[in-house]
Amino acid sequence: MSPKQPKQALPRRKTKTGAKPKARKAAQRGTAGRAPARESLRAQLERNDRLLRETGYLFGLEEMQRKQEDPGTYEAVWQILLNICNTAHAVGCRVSSSPIAAEGGDALWSLHLPTGEAVCTSRGIVSHPGLLSLLLRSYIEAGYEDDPGIRAGDIYENNDPHFGGIHSADFQTTVPIFWNGRLIAWAGSVTHVMDAGFVLPGSIGFMNPDCFSDGVPVVAERVGENDHFYPWYEKRMRSRTRVPDWTMGDARGRLAGCLTIRDRVLALVEKYGLDFFADVTREYIEDSRRYAISRVRTQAVPGRIRKSNFKDLAMAGKRVLLPVQNVDCLFNLPLEITIDVDAKVGISLQGASGWVPFGQNITPDALVSGMLNAYSHIVGFDMFNWGAAAAWSLVEPPAGSWANPYPVNYFASSGVAWAPAVVWMSSLYEAFGRLYWARGFVEEVAAGAATTMTAEFSGTNQYGLYTAGLTLEQACNGGPARGIADGETSAWCIYTPNADFGNAEVTELYYPVLYLGRNVEPDSGGYGKFRGGLGHTAVWLVMNTPGIEYQCGCAGIRSKLCGNHGMFGAYPTWPDRPAYASGTNLKELVAARQPLLHERGDPEHPNIARNLQADVIEPNLIAPFVTPEPLHEWDVIVHPVSGSQALGDPLEREPEFVQQDLDDGWGQERVAADVYGVVAKFDEGERRWSVDVAATAQKRAAIREERKQRGVPFREWWQAERERILAKENMADAVLAMWRSSMELSPGYAAELRAFWKLPDDFTF
Amino acid sequence: MSQYDISELERLIDGELPWARVQEIMKDAKDADRFEKWVAILQARVPWKEPILLPLTTALFIVRKGRQRIVKCRCGHEFGDYRVNWKLAALIHVRETEGQLAEVYRGTEQPDPTWIQIREYTCPGCGTQLEVEAVPRGCPPDFELLPDLDTFYRAWLGRPLPDAVACEDKTLEAMRRWRIEPR
Ligand SMILES: [Zn+2]
Repeated sequence: MSPKQPKQALPRRKTKTGAKPKARKAAQRGTAGRAPARESLRAQLERNDRLLRETGYLFGLEEMQRKQEDPGTYEAVWQILLNICNTAHAVGCRVSSSPIAAEGGDALWSLHLPTGEAVCTSRGIVSHPGLLSLLLRSYIEAGYEDDPGIRAGDIYENNDPHFGGIHSADFQTTVPIFWNGRLIAWAGSVTHVMDAGFVLPGSIGFMNPDCFSDGVPVVAERVGENDHFYPWYEKRMRSRTRVPDWTMGDARGRLAGCLTIRDRVLALVEKYGLDFFADVTREYIEDSRRYAISRVRTQAVPGRIRKSNFKDLAMAGKRVLLPVQNVDCLFNLPLEITIDVDAKVGISLQGASGWVPFGQNITPDALVSGMLNAYSHIVGFDMFNWGAAAAWSLVEPPAGSWANPYPVNYFASSGVAWAPAVVWMSSLYEAFGRLYWARGFVEEVAAGAATTMTAEFSGTNQYGLYTAGLTLEQACNGGPARGIADGETSAWCIYTPNADFGNAEVTELYYPVLYLGRNVEPDSGGYGKFRGGLGHTAVWLVMNTPGIEYQCGCAGIRSKLCGNHGMFGAYPTWPDRPAYASGTNLKELVAARQPLLHERGDPEHPNIARNLQADVIEPNLIAPFVTPEPLHEWDVIVHPVSGSQALGDPLEREPEFVQQDLDDGWGQERVAADVYGVVAKFDEGERRWSVDVAATAQKRAAIREERKQRGVPFREWWQAERERILAKENMADAVLAMWRSSMELSPGYAAELRAFWKLPDDFTF
Repeated sequence: MSQYDISELERLIDGELPWARVQEIMKDAKDADRFEKWVAILQARVPWKEPILLPLTTALFIVRKGRQRIVKCRCGHEFGDYRVNWKLAALIHVRETEGQLAEVYRGTEQPDPTWIQIREYTCPGCGTQLEVEAVPRGCPPDFELLPDLDTFYRAWLGRPLPDAVACEDKTLEAMRRWRIEPR
């Protein structure tokens, strides 16, 4: 049994609701919501909350004076701040030597108000500004201003989800910015380190059974002063992370970027004056709130949107750490959005299933930040900062669910908290896509995201040194189908618009592997009128090592399931299925100049099994997993990275698009014929495909007729399906367990499910 | 505020605009009259006369028919009150065995049928595949979009609809008379 969370340690959360636009004039008119010189941070925080509550405007900014008086300077200073943050990103990533930051750019720097709200952020992982905002707020709420005090040159840091982190591989560093002895802003940064000291090597802690296996803790603490880390901070990283040079490189990179922001912001304040700086930074945030609201109002429709989604984590029978983990889990990731007359968006996860004995639980604060990330892509991306978070409210997710574990299990692990959240967020893209479609903004529709399957290596590298870390393949998958076009191939990533998977040649310098292939994966973007952008498959040859482990990680994948996407009649993308072989004859094949292995190949006869002989061949694995034995030289890994979701009935796809994919090797002949209904043949002479237009039209008409013949009236199916539900027919244990926990945690959701199937009031799965 | 003429919007909708132009449209402030033009374009493309109140999908629309607001396919097939999930009036085909799944997903691409079923919803009129769901057994069908039409037209568009109705999910009410017949 997991203990209940101690009462005094409840994470404090404030949901911003109840804004009343018609309330009285802003009390702080003339000072544009800026704080009196000697006001404490706590008092500022309370005043900000009160002004939002009473006026409906952040900081009570009913009017944005600086913007109105001088819109040119207002816009110019925004661009300067954006440049400052992006400069910090460039500096920080260069100072850090770790592949994630230096090669993938997967990090973030940001500028915040004294009370925490993000003003402006760099490129990079845009899921973090919300967390940094709430983290800084939590320092103030905990009284840090008085004890231990906040001074110029201090470095505060956190990676603990109990106190404002998302998962411990993401280190959050914050540096106060003082001007004439007064705290005027914060610089913040997050990097994802290569090894967080988890119970297993790496930074994707899906296997962590509880928070005690979540690695080296930095618990909302001061880790340095006078712009230097304490010596004991480095000692801790050296003894408690596996690749401390990279971990410390990241720490120095975060700090260097923060100091870059600090120095340049001080120069900016010198030039424009403190009052101007204090005013515009608040106005930028209110501007962003207004932008998010107005975008919903001008592009969406009020009402209710619902989208179910599910994610598997099948671990039974695999290498796990504790007996309790010998289990298959299914996550219920429901989304309900309501949009009211004021274009205020409410978001609910009623029906979310329970916490899991793995590192895939997330806190509501981290979900809020994830939402901000999604908003940055699909709703409000003009001035990206905290403002959009005041344009919606998140209903507290069910206590004890994967989305709010601590009230029931304070020891729950968040080794890779992002995993369920990122799959859930994919629904948000489709949901807003439906609203934009209804309103005619077809160019803004996005059909749903790709997944995030990671590859980590640990062991002795080609230099004879111990290594542990992540490749960036998953940061570059297919983009969602639009309302008017296919998604872009290998071009996008839900959690970072950077979407940089790094250079293959550089990755080969970091890890003892060689790329045999990095090819676009045919048909990996679902099947629809418009398909999602395609993913790619990396094929790695293990080389120059006495042995490494391959962790095929889940940072948000489905391996048993397809996502519940298939918007407007498309078919969703297929499950994530990696492969590997050990003890291969690849060395002999190379010597004999025989075909090697460069791509996955035919899904029914994968190349790995067709081309190779090996002691172990696993052509179709359910991810995630850690290889049971280390891999050795000439062993090989096939690691697919997913494409994104499709839109529309596949029979409506332009035959010439199908032909183009066939010509490019991006589509399979069987899919073109059976799913798209396209009659095409390959011209050996011209080396290209040609479509028989008339035969295609005929075939498609026949398929439509066949659908009508085999389809049954819904009510008939409902009758029969109800019986199968009562009999729990063909339902995996994980499915039954998922329904039990969802229904237990959300009685309203359970009642609706029972009512729909007309099940007895006491029915459980 | 941007404005586009109908012919350019038609080319946008049909995917015929050059990508550079689409990007300009994406980056510009949105055109305030898009909805009116969108509905006008779609209305001209359907073979029936009932006024479109809101497009739902590539094939389905909420239309006004007399005093009723119903979901209607572009082919003319009618699904009933828009506050009832239209899936109740569709044809459904479910893939829940390896053989059924193999017509779409094969080998390493195939999901596990004990974890998930693929539900295909088809228009009884024209055979269009309207939506696909991939959910475990027991999941009620998603009622994806229940718009608050009266609020939308009154408060957001400034032209109230006649005969306002309460915006509530009527799906369970519609199923009230569905009897459970013993097998
Ligand atoms: Zn139809």
